Amino acid sequence: MIEILILLAKIVGSLVWLLLLTLYLTWAERKVSAVMQDRIGANRASIRGLRLFGLFQPFADAIKMIFKEDFRPSFSRRLLHTLAPFLSFFFVAVTVSVMPFGDRIRIGGRTISLQVLDIDVGLLFVLAMLSLGIYGILLSGWASNNRFALLGGMRGAAQFLSYEVALGLALVGVVMVFPSLRLSEIVSAQGRLLFGFLPKWGVVLQPLGFFVFFIAALAETKRVPFDMPEGESEIIGFFTEYGGLKWGLFMFTDFMEIVIISCLTTTLFFGGWQVPWLGADGFVFPGGGTWALAPWAVTVFQVLAFNVKVAFFCWLQILIRWTYPRFRYDQLMDLGWKVLIPLGLLNIILTAAVLSV
Amino acid sequence: MVSLVINGQRISAAPGTTILEAAREAGIEIPHLCYHPAFPPVGTCRLCAVEIEGLPKLEPACSTNVKEGMVVRTESPRVVEARRNVLELLLAEHAMDCPICDKAGECRLQDTYQAYSLAPGVYAEDKTRRGKKIALGGGLLLDRERCVLCTRCVRFLESVTKTSELGVFERGDRSEIGCVEGRLVDNNYSGCLAEICPVGAITDSDFRFKTRAWFLEARETICPLCGRGCAVFLESHPGFPRVPGTAKAYRVRSRRDERVNGHWICNVGRYGYGYLEKSRCRELAGPLAKTLNLKAATDVVAPLAAELRALKYKGRQTRVAVVLSDWLTNEELFLAGAVFRRDLEIGRCHLVGPRDGSPDGMLLTAERSPNRAGAKALGFNTEETTLEALARDTDLLIVFGPFLQDRFRPADIASAWAGVKTKVLFTPRDEGLGAAFDLVVPTVWPAEKDGSFTNCQGLIRSFSPALAPPPSAVPEWRLLTALGRAVGLNPSFYIPFRSAGDVRRAMP
Amino acid sequence: MKQAPAVLFEILRGAWITARHFTVNMVFHTLRLFRIRTRRAGAVTIQYPEVKKPIPPRHRSLHRLMKRSGTDRPRCVACMLCATVCPSECIVVEAAEDPDPDVQKVPSRFIIDLSRCCFCGFCVEACPEDALRMDTGRIDLAAYDRGDLIYDLERLLR
Repeated sequence: MIEILILLAKIVGSLVWLLLLTLYLTWAERKVSAVMQDRIGANRASIRGLRLFGLFQPFADAIKMIFKEDFRPSFSRRLLHTLAPFLSFFFVAVTVSVMPFGDRIRIGGRTISLQVLDIDVGLLFVLAMLSLGIYGILLSGWASNNRFALLGGMRGAAQFLSYEVALGLALVGVVMVFPSLRLSEIVSAQGRLLFGFLPKWGVVLQPLGFFVFFIAALAETKRVPFDMPEGESEIIGFFTEYGGLKWGLFMFTDFMEIVIISCLTTTLFFGGWQVPWLGADGFVFPGGGTWALAPWAVTVFQVLAFNVKVAFFCWLQILIRWTYPRFRYDQLMDLGWKVLIPLGLLNIILTAAVLSV
Repeated sequence: MVSLVINGQRISAAPGTTILEAAREAGIEIPHLCYHPAFPPVGTCRLCAVEIEGLPKLEPACSTNVKEGMVVRTESPRVVEARRNVLELLLAEHAMDCPICDKAGECRLQDTYQAYSLAPGVYAEDKTRRGKKIALGGGLLLDRERCVLCTRCVRFLESVTKTSELGVFERGDRSEIGCVEGRLVDNNYSGCLAEICPVGAITDSDFRFKTRAWFLEARETICPLCGRGCAVFLESHPGFPRVPGTAKAYRVRSRRDERVNGHWICNVGRYGYGYLEKSRCRELAGPLAKTLNLKAATDVVAPLAAELRALKYKGRQTRVAVVLSDWLTNEELFLAGAVFRRDLEIGRCHLVGPRDGSPDGMLLTAERSPNRAGAKALGFNTEETTLEALARDTDLLIVFGPFLQDRFRPADIASAWAGVKTKVLFTPRDEGLGAAFDLVVPTVWPAEKDGSFTNCQGLIRSFSPALAPPPSAVPEWRLLTALGRAVGLNPSFYIPFRSAGDVRRAMP
Repeated sequence: MKQAPAVLFEILRGAWITARHFTVNMVFHTLRLFRIRTRRAGAVTIQYPEVKKPIPPRHRSLHRLMKRSGTDRPRCVACMLCATVCPSECIVVEAAEDPDPDVQKVPSRFIIDLSRCCFCGFCVEACPEDALRMDTGRIDLAAYDRGDLIYDLERLLR
C-alpha cells in the first residue's frame, strides 16, 4: 500500500516538475531571447499590479488559450484531429518517468529511488516514446485535411526518421562505455573518476557521440534551426488547422521536448545527478581535501545539480534557437544522412577500438 | 469670306465677325471676361486686347471686326504684358475671397490669372470696402468687392429678358452694379445671371456654399420639366465614401443648343432639380412584394407577365388598365405600346402626366412633361381620364409614373380603386401614393436613364444617364423589355434590347 | 565539405555573439535591479505607456481646428480645400452662412474620419486660413468603437 502511495507521489511529483519547468520555459524563452536581443521581453502580466518580471505570463497565456474558441475545420477528421495533440503530448510526457532525479535515498528504513520507474530498458523506452511522437505530427497533418498541414506533417516525419537514426547511433557509444540501458546505472557509472580527477562523464568519454546526439536531439525538438515541420514564420506546417488549447498543447509539447532532451543530455553525457567529487559521505577533492556532508545534504546537492544541468541545457537550446537561421530542407537532409550518420558510425568504431584495446 | 492670319495660322472668317470669334472658330482662345457670344460686345475688361500689325495700339479682339489680310498676334510679349497689367489693375480692387467664393474653380478671372500672371499684388493700400452681400432678388446675392464691372448681367437683363432691373451706377472707381430704384430682379431667367457672371460677384442662394465647383461632375442631359426640353448640364457630386447622402445632384447649368434654348434655361429648370431626391422610391415595397417574396425590381416581371398572359388567354384583357406618363421616353412608350396595346390588346392605355402650368412666353411651355409630343406621335391618348373609368371592371391596374397625385387626391385614389384586385406602381417617387398599391417598383428619373424625348418643337433628341440611380431602381425600358420577353407574344422581344439605343433602332 | 571548418567557426561565433549579449545584458539588468547606476541599460526598449519618446516638433498628430482670435468660433471658412486634397477622402465639410459679412462662410459640419486618415498632413498644407493644424501631440487615438474615430466639429475645436 505504502509502495503505491510512494509511486503515486513520485508520479505526481515528476509530472508537476516537468509541467512547471515547461510552463516557465515558455516565459524563460521570451525573457532570454529578449535579453539576447537587447530587449526586455514579456513583463506586463500582473496580478493587482504585481508584475514580478512577468512571471505570471504563462498563466495569462494559458487562460487566453483556454478561453479561445475550440475551432475545428469542418473538413478535418474529427477523431484524429482531436487526438493528435494529445498523442504528441502524451508520448513526450511519459518519458519523464524514467529520468533519475537523484540517488536512492533512505527514509525510515525504506530505500526510495528518485526515479519513477527504474526499468532496465530505460534508454530504449525513451527512444521509443520519442519516436512515437511522430504520430502526433503525422496525424495532425493528415487529419487536418489541409494539403499544407499534410506536407508539414510529412516533412516532420521525414526529419524525425532521419535524425532518429543518428540519435540511435550516437547512443550506441554511450551504451558501449556504460554497459547498461538502465538510466540509473548509466548515471551511477558516471560518478567514478578518470585518471583520478576527471569525472567520468559521458561527454568526456564520448565527445563525438555527444556532438551527434545533441544535434540530432535538437532536430527532434523541431525548433529553429530544425523547424521545417512548422516554420511558423514562413512555411505552413502541421498544426495550421489548430487553435486555442489544442494549438497550445502542441506548443507546450515543443517546450516539454526541450526539457526532456535536456534531461536526457544531462543523464547520458553530463553525469545526471552526479556532482563532481561528491560521494555518499561528502566531497572528496582530487587534491586530497574532503568535506563531509550529511546524507540529506548530499541528496539536496544531487537533485540541485540535476536541475542546474537541465536548466543549462534548456538555456543552451534557447540560445541556439535564437541564434541560427533555419536550414534549407536539402541541407537538413544532408546534415542528417551525410554528416551525422557517418559520424555516428565512426564514433561506434572508435569506441569499439578503444574498448577492445 | 475674309482671310487673315492669327498667330501665324491662316484662317478665313465671315465678314463682320470679330477677331475673338474668328480665333475661337480656329481653336485659338483669347482670354476675356466681358465678352459673351449672346450679347453685342462692350469691351470693358480689356483682357482680350491683341496686337494687330500696322496698328500702333493693342485692339480689343471682342469688338474689332476681321479685315482681309489682317495679321493678329494674341500671345506676343506685348500682348501678354498688357494682359498682365490689366489683371493687376482688375485684382487691385478684387476681393481675394477665393476660398469662400462659389465661383472658385470655374472663375474666368482665376483661370486667366493662373494662365498669365501669377504675380503677387503690388499695392500697399487697403482695398476699398464695398457691399458684400446685397440681395438682388430672385435669390441672387451681389458681392461688389468681387465685381469686375463686365456688365454681362446688365446686358443680359436688357437684351434677353428685356426687364432691365440692373444697371451700373456712379462713375469711375465708384462704379457699381445695382438694382434700378425700387426694383429687384424678378424674372424667370434670373438664375442665368449667376451662371454668366465671369467672377463670383453674383451667386444664387440655391447653390451658395453648398459645395465647390471642382467636386462636381457635369453631364449632359435634357431638362424634363417642361415641353421645351432645354439642353442642360446636370452637375453632381460623386460623394464622400462612408458619408451617405453626399452623392447627389447640386446644380443644373444651361447647355448651348441653338435649336432649342440658345444659351439659357429658365429658373423652373435650373432650380427644379429637387424632384430627383424628394421622397425617392428606393426599394421594392408593397404587400405583394412580401407575399411573392420579391427582392429586386426585376423580380416583378415574371409574376406580372404570368398574370397578364393568364388574363389574355382567358380573353379577359379588358379587365386590365394601364396608366402611362409623358415623362417616359419615346423608347419606353414604344415598348409599352408594343407590349400592352399590340401584344396583349389592352384597350385602356391612358396617359397621366403632371398638371399644366403657365408658360412664360420664352422657353417655358404650359405642359410640364418632356415628352407629350412624343406620346402623341406614338398614338397615346393624352386626354384626361377619371379614377372611376380606370377602376371600372378592372382586375389588374398597372401605373407608370408618380403623377397620379398631381391630378387626384391620394384619399380619392385609395377609395376609388379599393375594388381593383391588383394594383402595381412603377415610380421613381413615392409620395404617399404607394399605400394605395399592392406593389411599388422603384424606377429612375429621365436624368438617370438613356432614351429620347420629342420636344414641343417636334425635335427628337436623345440623352444618356447623367446621374447614378439608387442601386435597386431599374429603368422602365429595361422592365418593359423584360416584360415583353416574359409575356412571349411577340418575336421581336426574343432578342433582348440591351440599351435604349437598341430600342430606338427597332422603332419605326 | 571543404567549407565545413569555416561553417563550424561561424556557427560558434554566432553562438558567442548571442551568449555575449545575454551575459552582458544580464549583468546590467542585475545591477539595475539592485539600484546600481550603470552607464547603459540592459535593453533599448522604451516602456511605452509609462515612458514616452518625446514627439519631434514637426510631427503630425491628431488634427485640431483653430479658433478665430477672441471667439469660440472656428477660423475655418469651409473652403473644402482640405476635403479636396485629402488622398484618403476622410474629410467632409458642409458650409453654412455666417451672419457676419466679413466671415460669410463657416463650417456647419466638419468631419475627419480618423479610421481612414493616413496623417499625410496635406489638409494642413492646403488650408488657406491656417485653421487646421496637426500639432495636438495626441497619437494614442485607438478607440473601442469605430464611431469614436469620427471627429466632428466640436471635438476638433476642443
